[in-house]
Amino acid sequence: MPLIELNDFSFKYYGAESLALRKIDLTIEEGEYVVITGPSGCGKTTLCRTINALVPQFHRGYISGNVIIDGKNTRDHTVAELSSIAGLVFQEPENQLVTLNVEKEIAFGPENLGIEPTEIRRRVEELIKLLDLEHLREKHPHEMSGGEQQRVAMAATLALKPKILVADEPTSNLDPRSAEVILDIISGLNKLDLTVILVEHRLDLVSKDASRIVLMDKGSIVADGPPREILAQDICQEIGIGVPKATLVYKRLKEQHDIDLGSIPLTGDELAGLVKEASS
Amino acid sequence: MSFLEVFQYTRQDSIVHRLDPRAKLFLSLVLAVISLLFLEIFPLLIIIGVLIPMMTAAKSLRRWLRSMKGLSILLLFILIFNTLLSTYPNPLNYSIALILRLIALMTSFSIFFLTVHPDELSQALIQMRVRFEFAFAMSMAMRYVPTLGQEAYAIMDTQKARGVELDKGNILKRIRNIVPIIVPLIIVSIRRALSIAESMESRGFGASKNRTYMESLSFQKRDWAVCIISLIVLIMVIYIRLNIPLPDWSIPF
Repeated sequence: MPLIELNDFSFKYYGAESLALRKIDLTIEEGEYVVITGPSGCGKTTLCRTINALVPQFHRGYISGNVIIDGKNTRDHTVAELSSIAGLVFQEPENQLVTLNVEKEIAFGPENLGIEPTEIRRRVEELIKLLDLEHLREKHPHEMSGGEQQRVAMAATLALKPKILVADEPTSNLDPRSAEVILDIISGLNKLDLTVILVEHRLDLVSKDASRIVLMDKGSIVADGPPREILAQDICQEIGIGVPKATLVYKRLKEQHDIDLGSIPLTGDELAGLVKEASS
Repeated sequence: MSFLEVFQYTRQDSIVHRLDPRAKLFLSLVLAVISLLFLEIFPLLIIIGVLIPMMTAAKSLRRWLRSMKGLSILLLFILIFNTLLSTYPNPLNYSIALILRLIALMTSFSIFFLTVHPDELSQALIQMRVRFEFAFAMSMAMRYVPTLGQEAYAIMDTQKARGVELDKGNILKRIRNIVPIIVPLIIVSIRRALSIAESMESRGFGASKNRTYMESLSFQKRDWAVCIISLIVLIMVIYIRLNIPLPDWSIPF
């Protein structure tokens, strides 16, 4: 049984004029690293919200079709019930930190679920170590940088021990350096068997780690498959996706200069390797 | 406004900081009640004489002095106007007593607010059977005050950049100038509130009736000692107030 299953799912927010999601069919298996991308307003955020039942439980609207997360239909289960299956990290770090220090923040989720204090303490210590938050322990959210805040927000989500981590543009308000740190942490978590769904525009940073890219436009999925296949398609440039430079170079060589490098590179290093191979 | 500093939590490691907030709350209330029982200079001086060593124990004497300096204009005001306008037999004596009482009251409460972290305060409230939602709302308000402040400044800058002259004109004009700041601020805050709610919901806020707490406060021997001593002192002082006439030393003005 797949971990996430959307069957012919459509959604329209109350008061909105058009559908936010149109007939989405998507299955995601355990352990996958799925990157969702597409232009603004294409429904990426709504798709993230469906995975922990914020849509339709928190954001009301018109729905058709079903979303089944780990065997639970989101029509019949509350966000709280799904909070230990799917954890969401949002775009704005400041709005995710609701307590006055980092320890309390991490403990907030498990406390809500009524988990034993000793177990909560254990998880807090574990996450502080895993995400390197030791120096921030006693800090007020206001005293931290955006990148640090986002790391704390991620720890706070992971404290619920979710099977799925959904991150909705977690790096969009961060500088490139902090963004890279966050994305490294996410791909590291995926290697620890966490299913990851990441909305991201900086494909040059994530496509090498992703197992799959889902391309969305105007509320529907327009392409879905392994990064190398998807990024080489023309549709990416048509709807304006940040295709990695290396892939663009590959495409241009192939189309305008008739040079085929054999396989599709995603990073500069891969491209350099291919060029070396071809020239030798 | 520097006199308000004395009500602001400061991170310190002192005996007073380590006391249980509930014990401190009791202590503060007892001290405040005692200060309200007297309007004579001599007993009020004794109370302040007790409070100052407590401030020293909380390693906050300097902060207290700074606050009192900030308060001095107000105190002077009270002194002059009361002395001139009061109908009491010894107006100067009465005004000085009033000032001392104000200082004693402020200091009593500052022992609580200066040494209790907002987190401890909300935990104390929860353990005093206040519902979690209320205690949490309070601590969240404190959490978002600086964020809101920052936002207000950003909006002010934006409006200035668009040519709104915020610091010009008479009082009426200035009051009207608040509108272009307050309206966007409210809208932004509502939007922020929604997004915060989303995040809290995702982390199971309100999921379990039996919410647990990672840390809970526990009453130690020293906390009991503080409570018991405060209680004894309170009873004694009330007894003295009611039954033993105080010597009427006063300044004959």
